[in-house]
Amino acid sequence: MESSEIEKILNAYFEGNTTLEEEATLRDYFNNHRVADYLLQYKPIFIGLEAAKEEQSNRTFQVPESEIPTSHKPWRYAVAVALIVAMGVGVFYNSNTGMTPEEKEALVAFENSKKAMLFLSEKLNKGAEQLSYVDEFTTAKDMVFGKE
Amino acid sequence: MDNKEFTALVVPFQDRLYRLAKRILVSADEAEDAVQEVLLKLWRGRKNIGSYRSPEAFAITMTKNYCLDRLKSKQASNLKIVHTQYQSSDSLEKEVEASEGVEMVFKIMESLPEQQRIILQLRDVEHFEFEEISKMLDKNETAIRVALSRARKAVREELIKKYNYGIK
Repeated sequence: MESSEIEKILNAYFEGNTTLEEEATLRDYFNNHRVADYLLQYKPIFIGLEAAKEEQSNRTFQVPESEIPTSHKPWRYAVAVALIVAMGVGVFYNSNTGMTPEEKEALVAFENSKKAMLFLSEKLNKGAEQLSYVDEFTTAKDMVFGKE
Repeated sequence: MDNKEFTALVVPFQDRLYRLAKRILVSADEAEDAVQEVLLKLWRGRKNIGSYRSPEAFAITMTKNYCLDRLKSKQASNLKIVHTQYQSSDSLEKEVEASEGVEMVFKIMESLPEQQRIILQLRDVEHFEFEEISKMLDKNETAIRVALSRARKAVREELIKKYNYGIK
């Protein structure tokens, strides 16, 4: 490109009136071409700007790994809520059909005392059966002594 | 968005954030800290990242604001920016040393007011359109052109002055 053309773009450049394409032309001219003597003073600017673009950091930037699960949190919450609800419902139904510990204890006591009563009445009946012999004794006595 | 997707999204413009941060803060260490901080902020707000027209422009705005805040708090606490990292840290400087005057351009850029430095960086180094820069910095295009023109002229004048005095 003609150095006069470059000079024109250069003037616009310092006024802030160049397009990105024109600025690319300037960078290309000063970085890759033989620069006219009277424009040499501008060379460092465009070489510097070109070099500044290559600057990089050696550090690897990281976002915390531990925060990854947060993206699954809604799902986890759902499971937790479902579990709690399931447990709650389970306990609710259990408490309806089943009994409290006191009730269970009372039932056991009731069954035990019922058993004890039955045992007692059984023995009592047996005893009452034996009493029939006493009646036999009376009949025998009546037979011997006759009815009075 | 998981870790991988996020990284894939930010990697393409990570270096740009770093260069902008370094242009503002000068120290490479501080620029790296700033980028790390901005990425963390982006990560925490990643749910909304899809709603931004350009995540890159958003990240650049964040970086600029963060670095200016850092600068302000530093000036408030009367701490000087430490330049120790500047000479030695990057292969860039070594590469560039060969070409005369380039380091001088870098030094001149450092001496510009922050806003001019930021605009010069975004336009002449990163090649953004005026429209994009206008959105990133929340300033109208005319103001940006004016500041850019001042920055470019300042670089030119300083450079010529130094040449004429024969310094370096």
